[in-house]
Amino acid sequence: MSALAAAGVVGPGLLAACGSDDESAGGPSNALWHDNWPGYMDEETLDLFRKESGLDFKYTEGFNDNNEYFAKVQADLAAKKSIGPDIITPTFWLAARLIDLGWVQEVPFDNIPNAANLVPSLRKPSWDPEGRFSLPYTSGMTGIAYNIGATGRELTSTADLFDPKLKGKVGMLLEMRDTVGLTMLLTGQDPATAAFADATDAFSMIEEAKDSGQIRAFTGNDYMDDLATGNYAACIAWSGDVLQLSLDDPNIRFVIPEEGGMQWSDVMVIPQGAKNADNTAAWMNYLYEPENAARVTSYIGYNSPVEGVQAILAAGDEAQQAQSKSQLLFPDAATLDRLSVFANLDPEAEAAFDERFSEITGA
Amino acid sequence: VTSRGGEDRSKRSAGIVPYGLLSPGILWLLLFFLVPLVTLGRTSLSVKASRFDPNDIRLTWELSNYTNAIGDYSEQFLRSFVYAGTATVACILIGYPIAYVIAFRGGRYRNVLLGLVVVPFFTSFLIRTLAWVNVLSDQGPVISVINYLNLSGALESLGIMSDGRLLSTHTAVVGGLTYNFLPFMILPIYVSLEKIDIGLADAAKDLYNNGWQAFRKVVLPLSLPGLFAGSLLTFIPASGDFVNAKFLGGPRNTMIGSVIQDRFLVQGDLPTAAALSFMLMIIITIGTLIYARMLGTDDLI
Repeated sequence: MSALAAAGVVGPGLLAACGSDDESAGGPSNALWHDNWPGYMDEETLDLFRKESGLDFKYTEGFNDNNEYFAKVQADLAAKKSIGPDIITPTFWLAARLIDLGWVQEVPFDNIPNAANLVPSLRKPSWDPEGRFSLPYTSGMTGIAYNIGATGRELTSTADLFDPKLKGKVGMLLEMRDTVGLTMLLTGQDPATAAFADATDAFSMIEEAKDSGQIRAFTGNDYMDDLATGNYAACIAWSGDVLQLSLDDPNIRFVIPEEGGMQWSDVMVIPQGAKNADNTAAWMNYLYEPENAARVTSYIGYNSPVEGVQAILAAGDEAQQAQSKSQLLFPDAATLDRLSVFANLDPEAEAAFDERFSEITGA
Repeated sequence: VTSRGGEDRSKRSAGIVPYGLLSPGILWLLLFFLVPLVTLGRTSLSVKASRFDPNDIRLTWELSNYTNAIGDYSEQFLRSFVYAGTATVACILIGYPIAYVIAFRGGRYRNVLLGLVVVPFFTSFLIRTLAWVNVLSDQGPVISVINYLNLSGALESLGIMSDGRLLSTHTAVVGGLTYNFLPFMILPIYVSLEKIDIGLADAAKDLYNNGWQAFRKVVLPLSLPGLFAGSLLTFIPASGDFVNAKFLGGPRNTMIGSVIQDRFLVQGDLPTAAALSFMLMIIITIGTLIYARMLGTDDLI
């Protein structure tokens, strides 16, 4: 069955490659559906792509939390049924799990010439060693966001989240690798080579902070509201979200803690059973056109995996020129050095981490 | 009159017709109660063979699902019953007087008043709960008024506020439960009060009872079925609720519903979720039976 599906992907793909630019002719269906995280796409790009491709393109924001999303789709994927979307955008570790389980199909790279623009550092990651099953959507950094009006001072370290003065005003993420990763860096452990035992101190710190009422909530992507309304004084946050929020409220700031921050990427994968897998190449290729990538990056505020974006923004209008110099959008080597990517956990270690973390988040 | 009715009914009870009439209900119960119940029981005694495949669970009579669940989540169980119990009492204290006024003093405005109780239902449960997030938020109107009146110190010492906030506290969760389930308390109490002949209270007063005694000895006992029904309709869903705890509470206010939701929908841990659901059901059934006996309304069940 899976061999047939793979052949199905490659067959029409090759045909379309020989044909014209009109990718929609390659597949029998004219539909395409991408399920993504909130705040990850500007309307203009969607309109332009719909016009250019002629596809009946559906774009949704179904991701709030990776575990939640996985729980939603796992029964269907395990039963080899279609889950609906043709492209989904899990974070790298969930993509790794989906690849391991054989629940995603190969990306039709033959039809995505622009994939050559992928930055070298993101090519062939350890969890997709041949780079056949995934294409990065965007990368980002995890650090500390704070409202300087509420904290009264600049924050510099993850230790500030445990400051009793901020009691009940601190938020953490349900994304285990971000919350535990940052705290591990604070306790002097390296999340990039994490073994469960290394995280003992970090887990106890988070648990004590929860029990004492220091931590107000563990959330998914919905933390942005709490930060914007002032329910949080400080929280663990994703760089692009804060960049978007700070446009409305300059008091909201983002810092990569002095002990270091986390780096991650959300990647596009094509689930098994996707009905319009043939049409995915058109969209992926479009996103990897540097001009389009620059427009999307400028809107979402995350680190583009496409080469040439910085140069395009530098040649753009005033706001874009400022963006091209932003350390949040284009971190320099010194900043990148301070970022860690959480280790690729084997299933037993992952289960141990997840179990302990869910015990603390208490839900 | 009653005895004649009884005779008629006993004569009619023979034959196949009653069973025919009952069959849709029986079929419904079989399909949507008994079958799921057996499945749930089965799942709660199974072991999850694969972490990532929820369909791959095997029945191994895994009683440890129950003992582990009790060990890990007794705190959340207890908290749920305390929150739901507090909310039920609050609903009685708020709802009974409202039902009383509508039933006995509503006059021609009775239907309008009843309508006002039901109107909030026209908006979704979720939206109403989320509205409270804004109302109670740290920069919101309630906190502003409390700070203006300088009441936060007093409210903190009463345990109502903590760290200068209401949102993400147990007060907000219990308040949310009370708010959301109040109509379920008012309506059944109203129905049982409305059936009471007000002349009975007058008669009690004629027999030298004062107003309070007449209420306590005549009206209250006659309205017990409504109070009982209202308490069940409030307490049972409230103790399994997770929406209020999720939006209005913090990580220290999680209820058993939150745990079941997380185990089931986020962790994909069906056996534990099933064991927790089963225990919740058993505890509530036993609790209901005891409560019915205490109130003397066992004939209702």
